[in-house]
Amino acid sequence: AVGLCPYRALLARRGGALRALCGSVRGLAAGAETHFGFQTVTEAERREKIYRVFESVAKKYDVMNDSMTLGIHRVWKDILVHKMNPTPGTLLLDVAGGTGDIAFRFINYVRSVRERQLQRKLRHHQNLSWQEIAESYEEDKSKSLGDSQVVVCDINKEMLKVGKQKAQHLGYSKGLSWVLGNAEELPFDDDKFDVYTIAFGIRNVTRIDLALQEAYRVLKPGGRFLCLEFSQVSNSLLSRLYDLYSFQVIPVLGEVIAGDWKSYQYLVESIRRFPPQEEFKAMIEDAGFFKVDYQNLNLGIVAIHSGFKL
Amino acid sequence: VRCQPSPPRRALQASAVLRRVSDEQKEPLASSSQQQFDAHPTNHQPEQEPQGPRPSYTGQGGQESEDYESEEQLQHRILTAALEFVPEHGWTAEAIAEGAKTLGLSAAAAGMFHSDGSELILHFVSQCNTKLSELLEQEQKLVQLGEAEKKPTDQFLRDAVQARLRMLIPYIEKWPQALSILLLPHNIPSSLNLLASMIDDIWHYAGDQSTDFNWYTRRAVLTGIYNTTELVMMQDSSPDFEDTWRFLENRVADAMNMGNTANQVQSTGEAVVQGLMGAAVTVSN
Repeated sequence: AVGLCPYRALLARRGGALRALCGSVRGLAAGAETHFGFQTVTEAERREKIYRVFESVAKKYDVMNDSMTLGIHRVWKDILVHKMNPTPGTLLLDVAGGTGDIAFRFINYVRSVRERQLQRKLRHHQNLSWQEIAESYEEDKSKSLGDSQVVVCDINKEMLKVGKQKAQHLGYSKGLSWVLGNAEELPFDDDKFDVYTIAFGIRNVTRIDLALQEAYRVLKPGGRFLCLEFSQVSNSLLSRLYDLYSFQVIPVLGEVIAGDWKSYQYLVESIRRFPPQEEFKAMIEDAGFFKVDYQNLNLGIVAIHSGFKL
Repeated sequence: VRCQPSPPRRALQASAVLRRVSDEQKEPLASSSQQQFDAHPTNHQPEQEPQGPRPSYTGQGGQESEDYESEEQLQHRILTAALEFVPEHGWTAEAIAEGAKTLGLSAAAAGMFHSDGSELILHFVSQCNTKLSELLEQEQKLVQLGEAEKKPTDQFLRDAVQARLRMLIPYIEKWPQALSILLLPHNIPSSLNLLASMIDDIWHYAGDQSTDFNWYTRRAVLTGIYNTTELVMMQDSSPDFEDTWRFLENRVADAMNMGNTANQVQSTGEAVVQGLMGAAVTVSN
C-alpha cells in the first residue's frame, strides 16, 4: 500500500545486504502477516517499524503523553500502582517500562509503606533503651525500601536512555535496574518476580501470546500480572468523541510537539487494533493465569487487566 | 511429569501451585494406604494410580477438573495461614501477604483479596462458627449416648456463647478493628448472615423447636446477648475475662426471667381487667 513505500525506501537505504536478508527471511519465519496500525505487514517488518517509532519519539515521549491525555495518564498509572498495593520486599518487573513512570511510582509507594511500618514498630517499642532505638534507626535507614526492587525492561535503547536520565534527574538510584530485553523472549530465569507490569506496552508487542507466556514463566507462584492498556469504549457517544479526538487531534499534536505525524498516527491506529477487554482476558487465561479480571478506567478508554499465577 | 487433560479454557498450561497442592494432599493418602495395605488390599497403590479416589470439589463454573483444588480452596488456605499474623499486623492485606508467603506463594497473591482485609475477617468468623457447631454437635452426641446430662437452657446458652467468644481471645487486641470493618456497608450482608446462622445453630442445639413467633423473639434475644457480651469483652481487663462471663450470666438470667415476667404480666393484666369488670357491674347495680 501507499504507506509502506517510504518505509521500504528506508530499508533500501540501510544497505542492500539488509534488504536481501529481509527478503529471504520474509519467506520463512517472518512470513506471518500482521498489522501495523491499519496497514498489513509481516511480523519482522512490524517489529522494525515499532522500534523506529519509539526511537524517534523517545525524547518527547513524556511531553506527548501529558499533552495527549491532558495529564490523565498520571492518574491511570497511580491507580495501577495502588491496585498492585506492593508490600516492601516485592520484586517488580516492569516490561516496556521505557521512561520509568511505573518504576518510580512503585518506589515511592513502597517507601511510604515502609515508613508507616517503621512508625508503627516504634510506637510498639516504647520501652526500649536509647541504645536500642539508635540501633533500630541505623538498620531501618539502610533498608528504606525494605529490599524491594524494580527491573525496568524495554526493547528500545532510546527509551531506556531517556528513562535512566530521568531517574538520575529525579534522584532515584536504589532498587532500580535497567535491562534491554524483548517481551516475547525475556532474559530472566523462571519463577523470579512477584509482580509483572506492562503499561501501554503490550499493544506494541507483535506476538502478544508469547509475551503472556513469558510473563507467566518469569513470575513466582502466587505472582501477579498487571496490564494497563488502552481498550474499547462501549458508550457510543463517548466513543464518537474519542474517535474524533484520536484521529483529528493527536496526530496534529504529534506533528507540532514531536515533529512526527506518522508515529502518532500509528499509535492511534494501534489502539483501535488491540483486542477488547473480554478477548484480552481470554488470552491471559490461555497463558495459564487464574482469577483474571479487568477494571475499566474512564468508561473503557483504558483498562487494567489482572491475573495470578496459581 | 503427568499430563493431565486440562479443561478446554486452560488450553496451554495447567497451574503451578494448585497441582502442587494436590501432590501434597496425595502424600497423607499414600502413607495411610501403605500402612493399611494388609488390612485393606482394595486400597489403590499410590504409584500405580496417582489420581487416587478423591472427593470432587464443586468449582464455581465447573471449570476446574476434579483432581485439582479450586481457586477458592487455595484462597481459604491462604486466609487460614494469614490468621497467625493477625496479632502482629492486624486484619490487613499485610497479614494476608505474610500468610501467602508461608505457603510458598509470592506476597503479591494478597492482591486476590480486598485491600481492607474483609475476606480475612469473614473467613475467621465462618471458621469459628463451624468450630462452634462441631462442639455443640459433639456435646449433643454425648447427651444422646447418655454419657452426659442435658443442660438446662440457660446454662446451655451461657456455655455456647462463652465457648464462641473464647475463640476471639488470641485476636482480642485487634478485634475492635475487625468489628468496625464488618460494619462497612459492603460487608454487612455477609456478616449479618454469619451472625444469624450462628445464633440459629445455638438455638437448634438448645432444643428449640418453636414454630410460632417465639422463633423470632428467641433469636433476637440471643443476638442481643451475644453482641452486648462481645462488646463488654472488648474492654474487659479482668483475669480470664471473669467480668464478661458474669455479665453474660446476668443477661441470660434476665432473658429467662423476661419469659416468666411476660406471662406474669399477662395474667396480672387479665386479673386487673376482671376486677374492673366486676367493679363496673357492681357500680351499675
